Amino acid sequence: MDNSIVISTPPHVKSKRTTRGIMIDVAIALLPCAIAGCVFFGWRALIVILTGVLSCVATEFVYYFIANKGFSNKCRDAKQVCVRWLKQFDFTSVVTGLILALILPSSTKWYMVLIGGIFSIAVVKMFFGGTGKNLVNPAAAGRVFMFLSFSIVTSCAIASQFGPIVDSSVVISGATNLGGLLPSKSDPVSNLALLDLFLGTGVAGCIGETCKLAILVGYIYLAVRKVIKWYQPLLFIAVFGLVAWLMGGFFYDKYTLDINLFLPNILSGGVLFGAVFMFTDYVTSPKGTYGQLVYYVAGAILLAVLRYLTKIEVASFVILLMNLFVPLIDKYVIGRPFGYKKVKKQKEDK
Amino acid sequence: MKAVKGKYYFGGVHPHDMKNIAKDAALEVLPDAEAVAISTSQSLGKPALPVVEVGAEVKAGQVIAKADGLISSDVFASISGTVTEIKEVVGANGAEKYIFIKANGKNETSFLPPLSDPSAEEIKDRIKDAGIVGLGGAGFPTAVKVAPKTPVEALIVNGAECEPYLTCDYRLMLEKAEEIAKGARYIAKALGVTKIIIGIEANKPDCIAEFEKFDDIQPVILKKQYPMGGEKQLIYVTTGRKVGIGKLPADVGVVVQNVATCYAVYEAVENGKPLYERVLTVSGKAVSQPKNLWVKVGTPVKAIVDYCGGESVTPKKVVQGGPMTGVAIASYDEYTHKTTSGILLMSAEEAAADEPTPCLNCGKCADVCPMHLMPMNTAFYASAGDFDAAAKYGQTAACIECGACEYICPAKRPLIQAIRKTKAALRNKK
Repeated sequence: MDNSIVISTPPHVKSKRTTRGIMIDVAIALLPCAIAGCVFFGWRALIVILTGVLSCVATEFVYYFIANKGFSNKCRDAKQVCVRWLKQFDFTSVVTGLILALILPSSTKWYMVLIGGIFSIAVVKMFFGGTGKNLVNPAAAGRVFMFLSFSIVTSCAIASQFGPIVDSSVVISGATNLGGLLPSKSDPVSNLALLDLFLGTGVAGCIGETCKLAILVGYIYLAVRKVIKWYQPLLFIAVFGLVAWLMGGFFYDKYTLDINLFLPNILSGGVLFGAVFMFTDYVTSPKGTYGQLVYYVAGAILLAVLRYLTKIEVASFVILLMNLFVPLIDKYVIGRPFGYKKVKKQKEDK
Repeated sequence: MKAVKGKYYFGGVHPHDMKNIAKDAALEVLPDAEAVAISTSQSLGKPALPVVEVGAEVKAGQVIAKADGLISSDVFASISGTVTEIKEVVGANGAEKYIFIKANGKNETSFLPPLSDPSAEEIKDRIKDAGIVGLGGAGFPTAVKVAPKTPVEALIVNGAECEPYLTCDYRLMLEKAEEIAKGARYIAKALGVTKIIIGIEANKPDCIAEFEKFDDIQPVILKKQYPMGGEKQLIYVTTGRKVGIGKLPADVGVVVQNVATCYAVYEAVENGKPLYERVLTVSGKAVSQPKNLWVKVGTPVKAIVDYCGGESVTPKKVVQGGPMTGVAIASYDEYTHKTTSGILLMSAEEAAADEPTPCLNCGKCADVCPMHLMPMNTAFYASAGDFDAAAKYGQTAACIECGACEYICPAKRPLIQAIRKTKAALRNKK
């Protein structure tokens, strides 16, 4: 026995899963959406995606390089710094960049994406302490930043490579098709081509949000790989759909609830994408199972209500808002240990 | 009795069990070492007080240290020889007082008189006199366990052996099922119960078949899930009862005993043999010949490794006990205890030695916690030095230190270390 022996606290075996592995899994799950986006929106979408990913990764690297002390030393052996950076690189910035690009319209200019990526990583993530320390979802914050800075909401492209499959489909311009906007008084259902909404054909929207089929594939991959808990997006979607449907029914159609209006709410806009890829973000969601349930239900209700009131896609705003509640949820919604019995408070005899 | 299926509990992890390494090695008796060093801290509670002096001649099975207080156990010489030294040695378990014995080659033994058809009281006395402690790992004195303050209804025999690598209980159940059953019946008699349940994990079907032969023992097939052999988990999956926090199994009417403990009780009652020998597994990919051995308490780890052919490759970690809860030792200059269930020589590919990365808040540690705690909160507050908050938000008091949280952690955070630190800080404050 030589000095190479390691001593540590147990356990001495650990799972093979690492942060990097999980993040690569998320990136793989995002690929169908990216591919669908490129197919629907053409080379413009590809540019947005590439710019998003590259700007995020580059920002992280530059921050790693210039942050902390010894900048001149780092310049001297830059090669070693690169190797060290690669060693600790955990693909979180790749995921952030991908998500950021996928929730942008394909018409976004490349420099906008660049600035958004820099903001997401540098300001939202690295300034707060890097991986695991950010308060809000970097991609959502980046998107909101761009939304406020460049008014990207007005410049949305229709999936131009494909025409609608169901020909009666209405194409609404705007960042995304919103179910709440669609029902008209005369014939709400025939105007909505559910299949088009599901496949994203002929529908205006953001790169990754239009093709629901791709999102579903990503969801299944994440659930099977146990990166996310399979029931969480479903819970979110169910609660959101229910609330949106009830509100739509009560306020548009004078107290009639049409079951056919349930699906358009879910299939429109960025709800599905947000539920699968953004609400499930580890860093900015509660830690405990019960806290997570509260988080998803509250987020879904908030999104449905705000979407009805504002008539624009507010998923990113709701995600940011809910992120800020997470420390509170973590503090007050904690599960009970196995075998816990509530201790009855005995009144003291005076 | 026909085996029934056990329940499932939320949480737990599924590490690769690695039992194939030593599974087929039949039990062998390790030849006596030339010198042994027997610790006086062989169980929970106070260390025993030495009753022999340097130079004294002792026989195997002779009391060399007496129990001090209620939760403590007698310690016995494991070979016949001369006491050469009594001194404190700092080892992997901290500073302990060791009694060094050099073999004299006479192989004399000093056993207690065998009992035939003993009464409940006689069995209880014998368990105390034979210094039997829980051999599953914790080392709680069995004499205390068989004298519960509240009436019990059932005895649960723990044959789960959920720790990866370890196969000594598996071999024991396979080869000595009859004796384990007898030992369990003695314990049941001492407790005044007739219901005996044995819980065995589903990856040991041959052991389950062995125990189906007995009419008075109910085998329960447990799902392969770590930690299945944790006392509270085992009670829940076999009987559906939940042991409260800070409560004992006897409070819900059951007592749990390990299979190796049952065998030790059988030996003590029928042969009068005190507990100075136990089964342990020598395994891992860095040992030449993995074996399951009968080893005398106090045998140097070096002698055991040498008997198994030494190292095949240089080990990265040497672990005393199982890989999930065992103690990593820095050198072979350690001695086995009554509670040592394995010596693992882990090669670089097996032993985890990853650098921790930042916590992602993924919550996987809370998901797998068999006690439904929040280990990430403990680690978070403990790293800031706020141990009160660590205990409050991580609910650390109920932690059984199974290691499932740290096993699953994708960021490889040292969670168990933080939990132990918190527990120690709170103990010191009191």
